[in-house]
Amino acid sequence: MNVTILFTWNENGKAIFLTERNVLVKSYCSLSNTCSFQDCFQSCDMTNAAKGYLVDTTSNPSIVTLDGELSAGIGEYKIGKNVLLKAMGLGSCVGVVLSDVSTGICGIAHVLLPGASNNGETKYAETAIEKMLEDMIKLGARKSKISAKFAGGSQVFKHMNLEILKIGNRNARSVEETLINKNIPILAKDVGGDVGRNVIFNPVDGSMIVKYTKGEVLWL
Amino acid sequence: MIDLENLGEMELDVLKELGNIGAGHAATSLSQLLDKDVFISVPEVKVGEIKYIFNDFIPDIVAGVIIALQDLEENRSGYLYIMFPEESSRKIASNLFGLEELDEEMYESTIMEVGNILSSSFCDASADFMDIILLPSPPSFALDVPTAVVDSVVSQMARESNHIILFETALSSDSDIEIYFALLPESGLFDEIMKMMELL
Repeated sequence: MNVTILFTWNENGKAIFLTERNVLVKSYCSLSNTCSFQDCFQSCDMTNAAKGYLVDTTSNPSIVTLDGELSAGIGEYKIGKNVLLKAMGLGSCVGVVLSDVSTGICGIAHVLLPGASNNGETKYAETAIEKMLEDMIKLGARKSKISAKFAGGSQVFKHMNLEILKIGNRNARSVEETLINKNIPILAKDVGGDVGRNVIFNPVDGSMIVKYTKGEVLWL
Repeated sequence: MIDLENLGEMELDVLKELGNIGAGHAATSLSQLLDKDVFISVPEVKVGEIKYIFNDFIPDIVAGVIIALQDLEENRSGYLYIMFPEESSRKIASNLFGLEELDEEMYESTIMEVGNILSSSFCDASADFMDIILLPSPPSFALDVPTAVVDSVVSQMARESNHIILFETALSSDSDIEIYFALLPESGLFDEIMKMMELL
């Protein structure tokens, strides 16, 4: 399938467009909370720029294409260069992004459990972050340039009769402690609350897009 | 402990049958509750790695009810996860009350109660069929996408295993109500089922 991912920006905001066969199919826009258009495919400057680019790739200097997307399933991590990184449907899970802006190498982990594993399983926060960091360094990232952003760890249950379901804040705390221990600066975080999240990382400008399952979007 | 990756056709069939009978009883309860015909789909059993298994869940917001299952000795047997797509859950609630609009509190506790009734009949059925006692816990309720609702349960199960058995059955009625059922058995329950099978 002919899928292209575009990132565009202007003085007001930034947006990512997922396109299929030269048609816009999905967007993440930093203006969507205040935008008067409900579906984002109405004509605004940024959609016009994206549509223009699909017709003529030289039309606009403020458009960058990404080389595809990678989605981390529950308990795994993905690393890449110039790709859109995603961790979708996070409830109590936490999406952790590490990125080295100087080389463009970045990674995302979909953390399921707090603490460390004794046999290298990446569903645990500490183990996932450690392994992802190692892999990124192997790929050429520089430890001193790596910074982190993370989001997730909510408690979606409105009525709860099982104590074990309260694992979200423990996950978030474990992620934060691990990053502090490893001296990785935390540039942004969005944790807790009672709504699930999708976390998307745009390597071009290093922004983490948090899309709440109930619609609201944050660019961090 | 049984290796979930290498389940045979026979084992999967037994699981399917358990799901079928459980869902059948739940469908009867739902039918009585709503006073409508209720159809059930042929259950699907999925065994897979935790990281992939939820990929094909519906992406929309559901009213999710989670019920923990215990045996008589209070060992955790697994979890029942009942998903009501939002439109269906609203229909069920307003149907039961005969009202178009319900306040949120009423709506939520109604869906929890429906979850409760469905899970009890599911458990009764598995007790009749397999002689396995499953005691349902009080329900927990959330409104969110299916993976966000279930990931805290999955995290609990993931401490022991990287694989998960999930079976899905959909209940539907002529007024376009859909309900999805998933049973996530812990290894204890699974061992019991397999022991049962050896006696057959």
